[in-house]
Amino acid sequence: MKILPEKSAWQTGMGVALTFVVGLTFTMLLPSFNENWSLNTLNPAGDQAHYHQPYTAQQLHGRLIYQREGCVYCHTQQIRPLEGEIKRYSIGTSLALPSNEREYVYDRPHFLGTRRIGPDLSREGGKYSDDWQYSHFYYPRQMVPGSIMPAFTWLFKDNEGTPVPTQEARDLVAYVQTLGFEREVYDPVTYNSSNGHDDGWGPWLKPQDRQASQQLGENAVNRITPGADHGTVRGGAEKTPADITTKPGLAPTGPAVPAPTGPATTP
Amino acid sequence: MAIEQIKAMQPSAPPERLQHEDSAVKWALWVGLGYLVMFGTIGVIAAVKFMIPDLFYSVQWMSWSRIRPAHVQGMIFGWLLPIYMSLFYYMVPRLCGTKLYSEKLGKATSIVWGVGILIATYCLLNPSNTTNLFLVTKGKEYEEYPIVSNIFLLIGWVMLMWNLCNTFARRTYTQMYAALWYVMGCLLWTAFVYVIGNWPSQLFSTDGVGGFSGLNDANINWFYGHSVVGLIATPGGLGIAYYFLPKAANSPLYSHKLSLIGFWTLGAIYIWNGAHHMIYGPIPYWLQTVATIFSFLLFIPVLSVVTNFFGTIRGEWHQLRTNVPLKFIIAGTVFYFLVSSQGSFQALRSLSAVVHFTDYIIGHSHMALFGTFTFYAYAGVYYAIPRAFKKPLYSEGMADWHFWLSFLGFIVFSAALWVGGYAQGQMWNDPNIPFIETVNFMKPFWHARAGGGAAMLIGMYLFVWNMYKTATVPAPPATEDEIRVAEGRGAAAAQANA
Repeated sequence: MKILPEKSAWQTGMGVALTFVVGLTFTMLLPSFNENWSLNTLNPAGDQAHYHQPYTAQQLHGRLIYQREGCVYCHTQQIRPLEGEIKRYSIGTSLALPSNEREYVYDRPHFLGTRRIGPDLSREGGKYSDDWQYSHFYYPRQMVPGSIMPAFTWLFKDNEGTPVPTQEARDLVAYVQTLGFEREVYDPVTYNSSNGHDDGWGPWLKPQDRQASQQLGENAVNRITPGADHGTVRGGAEKTPADITTKPGLAPTGPAVPAPTGPATTP
Repeated sequence: MAIEQIKAMQPSAPPERLQHEDSAVKWALWVGLGYLVMFGTIGVIAAVKFMIPDLFYSVQWMSWSRIRPAHVQGMIFGWLLPIYMSLFYYMVPRLCGTKLYSEKLGKATSIVWGVGILIATYCLLNPSNTTNLFLVTKGKEYEEYPIVSNIFLLIGWVMLMWNLCNTFARRTYTQMYAALWYVMGCLLWTAFVYVIGNWPSQLFSTDGVGGFSGLNDANINWFYGHSVVGLIATPGGLGIAYYFLPKAANSPLYSHKLSLIGFWTLGAIYIWNGAHHMIYGPIPYWLQTVATIFSFLLFIPVLSVVTNFFGTIRGEWHQLRTNVPLKFIIAGTVFYFLVSSQGSFQALRSLSAVVHFTDYIIGHSHMALFGTFTFYAYAGVYYAIPRAFKKPLYSEGMADWHFWLSFLGFIVFSAALWVGGYAQGQMWNDPNIPFIETVNFMKPFWHARAGGGAAMLIGMYLFVWNMYKTATVPAPPATEDEIRVAEGRGAAAAQANA
């Protein structure tokens, strides 16, 4: 057979298909056999136990809200192995370790992300309190002046002038609070039999750092001056429905928030 | 230059005998133009939301993170692919020396495609909260469209392939000109890429949220995301440029060999690049390195195309003063060279460490899809549509304004993002700077970006208005010579001026 792709549409087509299949095999099929990439092939004898536990139903629903609201377009979920980045997302003595292949096995779909209009979220769980997260989702600029994050007011319902998180908001926060807890560290000084971590492994964010970080979040809230620009500060009681409809204000906790379940809770 | 090639570039066999109906060209044109205006406007609203984050804050479907995928997907699948179809319907029959296989099928394709985009956009702006396999938006960049609209687009694409492949089969010239290979590549690669990117993760799903876990999902996502640009937008756009550049410049293609090298290396190399979107990411080191190497190999197809295009207009640069399609193609080719070089260097770990995740990348991706391929499509439309309607263009002046608004608007847009994005990346590497300060630092750049984007959008409105008037203003059928005179170029124009 004479190879004359310029004269044969058939040969051109076959060539086009061939180049495609070769690239596909090497860059997509071959890497997919990586045992750390899939739950089916993950080696149970490895240190899987120190990684992520399956999401609870609530957290999975929170993931769906995260997907629906497009959080992934502004927030990545990967820490690159770069010094500046590790330091930026570290809290106190807790080091934000670079993301590992195994952290993602339960993530369907993946939320790796490509753009940081806001900060990376892969170590966000536990950094702030649930209340902080609700207030931030309701009107981000009251918690972080200068933020350009959209206000997700539709995740809250109006209860006599006070915005109250809906189930969707609660599930979303339940998911956000798990972020990073799939990455455990070996630290027998912090984690030992006295706090239920017999094997010396525990969440990357140590309890004392977590507390300090959440306190910092609360302080930041209190620093905001009440005013037209930023709504009122957390806990401001004088809310009228008119305030809510004209300017997102603050989101007090509302009725009892269920305690976070799953890996986010440190026993 | 081979004689066959010059022959292959002739518009058709004796034009008296072969009259093209071009109604499929027109239908696809209106679909493309409608979505250009729609998603262009959405894009500018998204840019303004960077300046006024509370704009329409309570309107759920106008949330930034919902209109963003609507803009990106809409511009690629709603504007670029219909306009490619329109120009393919124009150039393929002319290059094959035969009529389009079926004008009716072509018109039906435009309807199917237009409906598919409409459904998808509705689903993106009002996302279903269920895990319904068919309605749920997939939540992954470039593949958000729900399966229900994937079905429409896939059927539309198969109809296009059937139509054009039958036209290829009926061609009266044996030799196929470079533009035809690129069209064929675009047809096949789009089908492969679109199916692989959109279907398996949903089909292997038991609960509607995507069947592949974590990094498998990410790797397929970026294989697909990169191929949308590299194997859908690129071959289609280059095919259009390969046809309309020699046509608009009235000058033969510089080198047949270079076009061969360019086409086959494009096909062989582009597919390997997906992983360069995850440099320093949680994927194996070898995969990142492979992607970096192949990103640099891309210089081969890019340089062969750019050399070929600049060679083609050597001695014809004076035409750039008046010839609007040529302006768009040459500006697009300069951007093509720049965007491809950027792409190769961004795949280096050292540069990726700084610019990855910043607005630099947004400037880069707009240079590919707007600066290059949309410019090529603009050029094709300015050349083809007056001929399809057999009327001179409604306003050459408006077309010139369109060029300068697009060109200068885009320079402002992208330069702001490159400078700001690079600086923000450097600031991120200093952990002592709080994140919010880097956001505040970007604000002036985002203002400039929105300004540049607004200029690009005004250009789009002028363009669509110009096309609408060209189609609707009553005029007697014009000959090729009369259209050329109206375009102020060619020997006929020189005679008319004399």
